[in-house]
Amino acid sequence: MSADRKSPDFSDVQSGSSSTAPRAPGAPERTYTVVAGDSLSKIAKRVYGDPQKWRVIYEANRNHIKNPDLIYPGQIFTLPEA
Amino acid sequence: MRAAHHFRLALAAGVIVCSSACSKKEEPAPAPPPVAPVVFRVTSVDLGKGITADKMVANSTSDFSPRDTIYVSVATEGASAAASLKARWTFEDGQVVDETTQSVAPTGPARTEFHISKPSGWPVGKYKVEITLDGALAGSKDFEVKRS
Repeated sequence: MSADRKSPDFSDVQSGSSSTAPRAPGAPERTYTVVAGDSLSKIAKRVYGDPQKWRVIYEANRNHIKNPDLIYPGQIFTLPEA
Repeated sequence: MRAAHHFRLALAAGVIVCSSACSKKEEPAPAPPPVAPVVFRVTSVDLGKGITADKMVANSTSDFSPRDTIYVSVATEGASAAASLKARWTFEDGQVVDETTQSVAPTGPARTEFHISKPSGWPVGKYKVEITLDGALAGSKDFEVKRS
């Protein structure tokens, strides 16, 4: 194995979840934990299939996001229905 | 004469049986023992290439192709007013591929599915998905993406 092997890029991964159990009252149906290399538009592409929907995530998490261009690994965002 | 004697004996036996059985009072059935509430917990974690309407894995496997959508189905039992199930997918180099959390309030056995896909194709290699329940590791599965 080469020492300078390039780390794979997972920025275009799309994900989702659902359950037969009802949603906890008052809890967001889904949340997303920011990983290295993420941006709001990348997350929007992952979860909604449309990078233009980054503002939906931004608006739902304004209390955690000071600057939409600056998000950090480990931050947990609520994902509303788009 | 002998037949009459036998008849009397049988009659007497019947009276004795009836006097002990027929006079017994009908007692109410004992109440069933109280059922202990089932603690909400993960009972199984399954991987596959598809999912059914009831969130069960349709095509169970741990080997995938680069273009597959990868599903994990998490079976739980018990009830909870609010619980958090999380799927954390990682590549063999430790890189986090995805983390998704689902909030649930189950009242009994339930299934929750998580899925990931990558339009540009999964890099071949070994992966792992870890399931946590309210932050505690509840199960994990290893899988591999092979060249198709």
